[in-house]
Amino acid sequence: MTYLSLPLWRVAMAGCLVLVAMALSRFARLGLERELGVGAIRAAAQLLAIGYALRLLLANDRPVAVCAVLMLMWSVAAYTSTSRIRVGPPRAELFPCSFAAIGVGAGAALLPVLAFVLVPNSWFDARYIIPIGGMMLSSAMNVVAQVFERLFASAATDEATLEQALALGASGKQALAPYVRSALRGALIPTINGLVTVGLVSLPGMMTGQIVSGAAPEQAVRYQIVIMYQLVAVAAVSGAVAAWFARRLLFTNETQIRTWQRRTRDVT
Amino acid sequence: MIRDGRRLVDAASVTLEAACITTLSGPSGCGKSTLLRAIATLAPLSSGELLLEGRRACDVGFEAYRRRVAYVPQTPRMFEGSVADNVRIGPAFCEVSLADADVHDLLSRVGLEPALAAREARTLSGGEQLRVALARALANRPQVLLIDEPTASLDPAAAIVVLDALVALAKQGTALLAVTHVEAHAHRLGGSVFRMKAGILGGRPLPS
Repeated sequence: MTYLSLPLWRVAMAGCLVLVAMALSRFARLGLERELGVGAIRAAAQLLAIGYALRLLLANDRPVAVCAVLMLMWSVAAYTSTSRIRVGPPRAELFPCSFAAIGVGAGAALLPVLAFVLVPNSWFDARYIIPIGGMMLSSAMNVVAQVFERLFASAATDEATLEQALALGASGKQALAPYVRSALRGALIPTINGLVTVGLVSLPGMMTGQIVSGAAPEQAVRYQIVIMYQLVAVAAVSGAVAAWFARRLLFTNETQIRTWQRRTRDVT
Repeated sequence: MIRDGRRLVDAASVTLEAACITTLSGPSGCGKSTLLRAIATLAPLSSGELLLEGRRACDVGFEAYRRRVAYVPQTPRMFEGSVADNVRIGPAFCEVSLADADVHDLLSRVGLEPALAAREARTLSGGEQLRVALARALANRPQVLLIDEPTASLDPAAAIVVLDALVALAKQGTALLAVTHVEAHAHRLGGSVFRMKAGILGGRPLPS
């Protein structure tokens, strides 16, 4: 089967859709025109770059190059997940925790699937590991950012309540437990919503991409089922690991609450 | 104690004896509450140490220490759930569950109706919340009770009930350190009175 080849000028035409959003933003005085414009250009540049990088990776079977691309994606995910946190530890302290939580979550979802479900000829086959790995890293990034943001913000606003629990003899884990439960529920709910609405409301990008590019729909949906299950594992594992790190960062060795200055906003 | 380069409490040495009451008075912002939080191991010490029956707090274990050295702040926060849930929470942290009768007894000791046990704790008035916080602290059967302005949010009648409950507690063997700026309340509590000024604790306790 073949697919419709898309010249760049037609892709640029699709960019008019962003202009519609920018016009609406200006009309409603949302002040988001610049963000929308920069976001659209960044998205195009990043995707074009990864497109060419994948082309090179697929043409040359180089495990080192595949690992390097994965490592770059992983690092950017970790960096991004720490960038929206307004109250919390300094980024230098948070980044390694984020990196580890994303890695453990994405690894827990990726490695068993590569070993027992997809079973590609080579573990470093860029055709599988880069797109699927990217989806896992991206999902883990969002979950980790959400868990960190929620826990550090709750600790800052509810510091007095947390301290009361500690004063009554609670361990850091016990004092933070209600907040961790709420943060993990918050992180898992979008994934659960995705599970129950997939095929009814949403047709996920990977599946539609496969169908558009000529794959058999029944094969495309099988891939999608596997991806959905992986995303559940990513959310649960990376969320739990992020919560573990947050607890270690929030309390001193004497189980006292650490406090931080509110960060000035920085955007990645 | 130093925070952000500012000396908060300096050269404070306090010995709390079983069954004795000590009150701490002084102007606002002189470091009374900070000292109380430090004794409760909730605020870091820049130097010095805390000893409980001759053992350092870190050797006792911070969680065990805090169960034995209870702290009730001036504006206590209620946890989600009923009054009974709040009273039970301290023992629950070490897997002990309190019977209904124990909860009712603790509430009675601080002058609250046992019927209040089923009420949502966060809907209570400030004065009632303070008394629930006191009952909640007592549920751990502490040896030492640190209490910050125990009568600040109470009407005069309720203040008397709480002060008398504190005196009764001390008679049963608990060492009590209370911050209060109301002279009459310090007198009602009895015991020694320490005065604090600009982070410096009066060297010798003055008789009340």
